[in-house]
Amino acid sequence: MANLISRAFGGLNEVRRGLATVFKHTFREPITKNYPDEMPDLAPHFRGRLALTVNPETGDHLCISCKQCERVCPDKCIEITSHKSPETNKLELIDFKIDHGLCMFCGLCTEVCPTLCIINTNDFEMADYSRESLIYDLKKLTLSQDESAFYFDRKEMPLPKPKPAKPAPAAAAGAAAKPADAKPADAKPADAKPADADAKTVEVKKPEIKDDAKPEVKTEEAKADAKPEPKAETKPEAKTDEPKADEPKA
Amino acid sequence: MATEIQEIDLKTDEMIINMGPQHPATHGVLRLLLTLDGETVKHTEPVLGHLHRGQEWQGQNRTWFQYQALIDRVDYLSGMFTSWAMARACEEIDGTVVPPRAEYLRVMVSEMNRITSHLLWLGTYLIDLGAMFGFPFYPFREREKLFDLFEEIAGQRMMFNYIRIGGVVRDPKPEWLDKLKRFLDEFPDRIDEYETIVTQNPIFLKRTKDVGILTQAVAKDYGVTGPCIRSSGIPLDLRRTKPYSVYPELKFDVITFDKEGDTWDRYMARILEMRQSIEIIRQCIDKLPSGDIMGKKQMAGMRIKAGEGFSAVESPRGILGCYVISGGGEKALRFRWRNPSFCNLAILPELLKGCPLSDIMAIFGSIDVILPDVDR
Repeated sequence: MANLISRAFGGLNEVRRGLATVFKHTFREPITKNYPDEMPDLAPHFRGRLALTVNPETGDHLCISCKQCERVCPDKCIEITSHKSPETNKLELIDFKIDHGLCMFCGLCTEVCPTLCIINTNDFEMADYSRESLIYDLKKLTLSQDESAFYFDRKEMPLPKPKPAKPAPAAAAGAAAKPADAKPADAKPADAKPADADAKTVEVKKPEIKDDAKPEVKTEEAKADAKPEPKAETKPEAKTDEPKADEPKA
Repeated sequence: MATEIQEIDLKTDEMIINMGPQHPATHGVLRLLLTLDGETVKHTEPVLGHLHRGQEWQGQNRTWFQYQALIDRVDYLSGMFTSWAMARACEEIDGTVVPPRAEYLRVMVSEMNRITSHLLWLGTYLIDLGAMFGFPFYPFREREKLFDLFEEIAGQRMMFNYIRIGGVVRDPKPEWLDKLKRFLDEFPDRIDEYETIVTQNPIFLKRTKDVGILTQAVAKDYGVTGPCIRSSGIPLDLRRTKPYSVYPELKFDVITFDKEGDTWDRYMARILEMRQSIEIIRQCIDKLPSGDIMGKKQMAGMRIKAGEGFSAVESPRGILGCYVISGGGEKALRFRWRNPSFCNLAILPELLKGCPLSDIMAIFGSIDVILPDVDR
């Protein structure tokens, strides 16, 4: 009997302690937000709606229709239409369609884009009345100059090279941006054995679509423009060594 | 009383009842075929396959680069662990050396992920037991803070795609680490708060103590892993028994109890694991080396050498294994997942035998099964 009473009081005490904790929350600051009035503060790398940027300085469209994003997309939700212009003999973008109803927002297309054209914006409000209206076309996807500048700044992406002679160098500028800082150090030790390196690059080169395009374009450009960046000084042979230099590390 | 009725030889019929697949407490779409005698469960048969998405098949039809983005969906509450299991299996085949900074970051984000997973379990488990007042949202409050951190480092709240073959994808900024430290400082107080409300609550004790006792023999027979087997007194923690990554350099103990665990012990094991994870993350922040974060170039046409590899990690639900066969191309030849939820679910018929109907959800919830993880 005494045991029962003590158990009952012990139990009641525990309930009181628990309820006191719950009651304390009444005076805490609310952690919820008035969402439509108060927008959430999203991280810069948040993967939201896909969009295409333009050059924040000149307003040129950054897409070079290389179709890397179309190829890498696991859901096949990107469709690019382009044609070879007869005058300049280069690819011209006609239409760019993204079906956001299929998109799973993995962000792989933004990772492979050589010109940093396709990006994930911080916009997440895409609810609509029909599936057709979720298919965004080129006009709907392309951001204005100000918006592009905002995202380039926010995501800390390197700005595209000013006024390229032809659209191709723009690709090189974007692609070179990432490995550029690691490269000068790597290129030096690899100089010693270029003959060996050549054999290796052949097999490594194939999957590297991004890198494959870069050294060729880059070298042409380096000769023509003689840009004052560290990479331009290194010889073409040194550049092809790059995959090799990575390999022992990996 | 019940025995007396049987002595009179009252004729009772067994009754077959469907529980689920659309049941709020089955955490997804699990269907249980229950054979009931009055209110006592005679036999249970879990019917699986309502959430089958062919994850393994998809792995063989997508490139390595594409499949990495998808595997967070295998177990949506612990995406870091699925990514990690696959990454380690592929690194084993490929011989990739992961930079130490990446290894530490992997441990950090995975332990954070373990906390979020256990927090969601805690909230929903209390709902399973009928605690429909505000408590379930207390753990969600802390979970939200961790998700904000994930969003900053990985880009999304649950489908991270952060751990890749060869390393991790983004280096955190110093501010991120500061935010994480601040969270870790306040989080133990929050766990104390949950414990004040739940642990010794008489109703909670009545519902969980001596309910669904998992004996060591059953646990071993069915290949149960994770907090379930540890709470039954078997110290099986892959982080200690077969250490991987940088776990040998970190100090922590395997959480086990002396006796055979009931539902309350499984609750307690998870609470203690959360506290342990805090300590592990703290150690990682202190030891975090500088340097590279990626040991293999991430690109669309990434290839893995021919060969086969298996890796297992200790996920919040148990041992998560990934078996990969690579033919040297852009795609895998075969993927196979060993999912902890699937193996843990197998003990449910054993645990439910002879239980009253009202205990089904208390026991089922305590195993912490995630249905996408069961069906893949």
